[in-house]
Amino acid sequence: MGTIRMDRRLFLKSAGATAGAVAATQVGCLRYFKKGRSSAAETKEIPTTCELCPNKCSAIAVVEGGFVKKLNPNPENPKSRDMLCARGNAAIKQVYDPDRIKQPMIRVGARGEGKWKPVSWDEAFDFAAKKLSEVKDKYGPQGTLWSSTEGFQEVFFKNLGLAFGSPNIVRHPTLCLASVNLAYSATFGTVPSFDLLNSKFVIMSGANRFESIITPDTMDLIGGVMERKAKLVYLDPRFTVTAAKADEWYPIKPGSDLAFILAMIHVIIKEGRHSKDFVATYTTGFDQLAEHVKQYTPEWAEKETEIPAADIVRIAREFADAGARALYYAGRRSSWYQNDFQMRRAQAILNAIVGNWDQMGGMVPNAKLPKGEFLFMPWDEPKAARVDEIETAFPLAAKGDGVYLKLRENVLSGKPYPVKGWMVYKQDPMNSLPDQAKTMKMIEQMDFIGVIDLQMSDMAWYADVVFPESAYLERTDPVEVMPGIWPAVVYRQQVVKPIHDTKPNLEIVQGLAKRLGLSDYFDYTIDQWVEAEFKDLPIPMAAEHMKKHGVWAASGQPSYGKTLNPEHRFVTKSGKIELFSERLQEAGHDPLPVYTAQPQPRNDQFRLILGRVGYFTHANQSNNVWLHEFMKENDLWINPKPAERLGIKDGSYITVTSSVGSVKLKARVTEEIRPDCVFMLHGFGKKSKMQSLVYNVGASDAVILETAWDKVSGNAAFHETFVKVANA
Amino acid sequence: MAIKKKRYALVIDSRKCINCKACVVACKAENKVPVGNFRNRINEERKGEYPKLSINFEPEQCHHCADPSCVRVCPTGASWQRKDGIVLVNYDECIGCRYCMVACPYDARYFNEEEGVVDKCTFCSHRVDKGDIPACVETCPSKVRVFGDLEDPTARIHELLSTRRYRVKEPQTGNGPQLYYLL
Repeated sequence: MGTIRMDRRLFLKSAGATAGAVAATQVGCLRYFKKGRSSAAETKEIPTTCELCPNKCSAIAVVEGGFVKKLNPNPENPKSRDMLCARGNAAIKQVYDPDRIKQPMIRVGARGEGKWKPVSWDEAFDFAAKKLSEVKDKYGPQGTLWSSTEGFQEVFFKNLGLAFGSPNIVRHPTLCLASVNLAYSATFGTVPSFDLLNSKFVIMSGANRFESIITPDTMDLIGGVMERKAKLVYLDPRFTVTAAKADEWYPIKPGSDLAFILAMIHVIIKEGRHSKDFVATYTTGFDQLAEHVKQYTPEWAEKETEIPAADIVRIAREFADAGARALYYAGRRSSWYQNDFQMRRAQAILNAIVGNWDQMGGMVPNAKLPKGEFLFMPWDEPKAARVDEIETAFPLAAKGDGVYLKLRENVLSGKPYPVKGWMVYKQDPMNSLPDQAKTMKMIEQMDFIGVIDLQMSDMAWYADVVFPESAYLERTDPVEVMPGIWPAVVYRQQVVKPIHDTKPNLEIVQGLAKRLGLSDYFDYTIDQWVEAEFKDLPIPMAAEHMKKHGVWAASGQPSYGKTLNPEHRFVTKSGKIELFSERLQEAGHDPLPVYTAQPQPRNDQFRLILGRVGYFTHANQSNNVWLHEFMKENDLWINPKPAERLGIKDGSYITVTSSVGSVKLKARVTEEIRPDCVFMLHGFGKKSKMQSLVYNVGASDAVILETAWDKVSGNAAFHETFVKVANA
Repeated sequence: MAIKKKRYALVIDSRKCINCKACVVACKAENKVPVGNFRNRINEERKGEYPKLSINFEPEQCHHCADPSCVRVCPTGASWQRKDGIVLVNYDECIGCRYCMVACPYDARYFNEEEGVVDKCTFCSHRVDKGDIPACVETCPSKVRVFGDLEDPTARIHELLSTRRYRVKEPQTGNGPQLYYLL
């Protein structure tokens, strides 16, 4: 229990079964065999860190003749647990994708027309710097927006925006997990990890962990559930793979998860099943909570959720009985409803009262590891306030990340001030934001758009200048400490030389900085940056170790219970775990989660819900030929009952229409979804012709999703859209 | 050192399979399988009416049978079996007649149009011969497959097959399949 499974491969590796000992027989490799290419070409194995999704799994690249031939999992990373998923394996095709942007390009036709002029890096930098300076002269530095998605080199891009003087840095969390982060921070003062390896009872609301892969949670949970060490109760309007593997699946009425959780708290407190010692020692506001949840009976919740009251009572009892090893799992991409924060808060409160805090099999505050920092020349803080008005609209939200949808509204209205320049790093707002027509309007009103990306995303397609970034296998990145129950340090080092005229993001940032007069702030190389980071790592011979292994993990067992000391001060206002939150009350929000019924679709409407499959999770993966093979086109899941009523046949084309747009895609008539919901996968229906496999194939959910956000965190609410469906 | 007899086999715990396709892509990369062809796949079985539903996934590939029908029907001897049980295709001798594809009870073979030969899973013999495990086994997030030598009493597959119930597919063919699916 609690140990990490280390596989035979690690043993064999450390036992010295290295390359060269035995000549490889290449029987399985047709091309080699037939075309007589030498199988004795020098093979190198270089450890690195995957970048196909945000999990940062450790991989070992097998390089032959300067080409990446294979990516093997690296067993030394306790978070990636000696695995590499389909996406990770397909990273090879990211490098050798014929659709890649192969040199800098400046737009010559109208935006989105797809007419490009290949240019030198100097031309591209000069052009962008001139345009950014023009915007700055006219509107001030705050007239520029710098948006980026998660990645090891994101820091350089963000710093360029700040050094340029713009407060308008907007990162991905409010399109993802900002509501969870804020809810757990508001309750515990930190966002913990969930010890699924050792948990005995897990409840999951829609997090679909067996298709939306998060390491090590996915692997730990499938092991636990299938080896009967853990029970999994799963709530989702859709019969996902997680639902199929769960012990119990409830197709809950969408938007009512909060009612289910409040009723569980009601039962646990009413029956005195909460962890009384823990609650008394570590929490504050229990009496107010007990009073507050009296109204939320299981019978009431049955009406809201469509989950039988008897099941709610039984699940609450089983959950409380599992005590410290019971988990209401938080999940990622927690952007569903306008009450999302309060729903996540209720989960946090439920977890708190059964006393699973900092326990084996419970929620564990993340262990961290020290890392050195490169000291660069600091710049003056941007003077203007943020355009998204985060300070006043979302006072509790993470300022540095921004609030994306509010920001888009304000940019469109030009208030509080105009934003006319947009730099984008590896993000595709055309597909990652709801209501594509609105994003398009935002694009149209920009004087300048520059995009840094590996591939011609839809955003890049509408840019004025495109800077091609080198793929992760072609570059070295900053060192990343991965906090968690099993903290680790990972390193991404260059595996092969760039095959096209591309640059790592840092060099792109430096090229721009030089022309913007900001060179002093970026006067370092990636090697200097990395060397500085290596310095404070708790690893002997850190640089050598990281280059040789790609990862370092603290050995031994996780240290549970470090905060379980009555003197421990949580990073909350009271210093306790806050069941009742004064801070929320002061900010004008409910100090305890209050349920309000969500609007439900009428007869002729469906609620559009979103989700993932294991081999596509992000819009940047669908054009990968090895992943595309599994799904060439997305479709719309619809239950047979409404399909029959509407005369919709499986496989026929249908139109799906919301208040903001309409798309055409194939129907998938399936029992595996509630009759009042429809579902489609993300990442299709691209507008960019340089996403050739998915250009104009299937449909983009962004076209029909409506704009809505969680009131507390500003997180986009992606499940608030009702659509009508008809034969095309 | 005396050469010990080997017999490679695969034990599969399908219940742990989440259909993530990691094994399929790892195989594709490792063995340079053309786009559109697959040496392994995940069979899906979806049943029931809302809300009483089930989904089962089952990894499928060459079963490296004890008495493989593909080898029996091959007119040129291109399909052959190593002493350790691994069934292979000698591409230089394959004439592309595809009898073996018909004879395989598991639909585990495909015709490589570009090369004009039949191809299939090799148990990653080139890796196994170096002491590694097959790519599909190694990459799997939930470790559905366990690879090993049935002649080695210390192998984990031994423990699994002696302590767990299992089945083989299409036993009536007399092929003696060596993929063991845990129940």
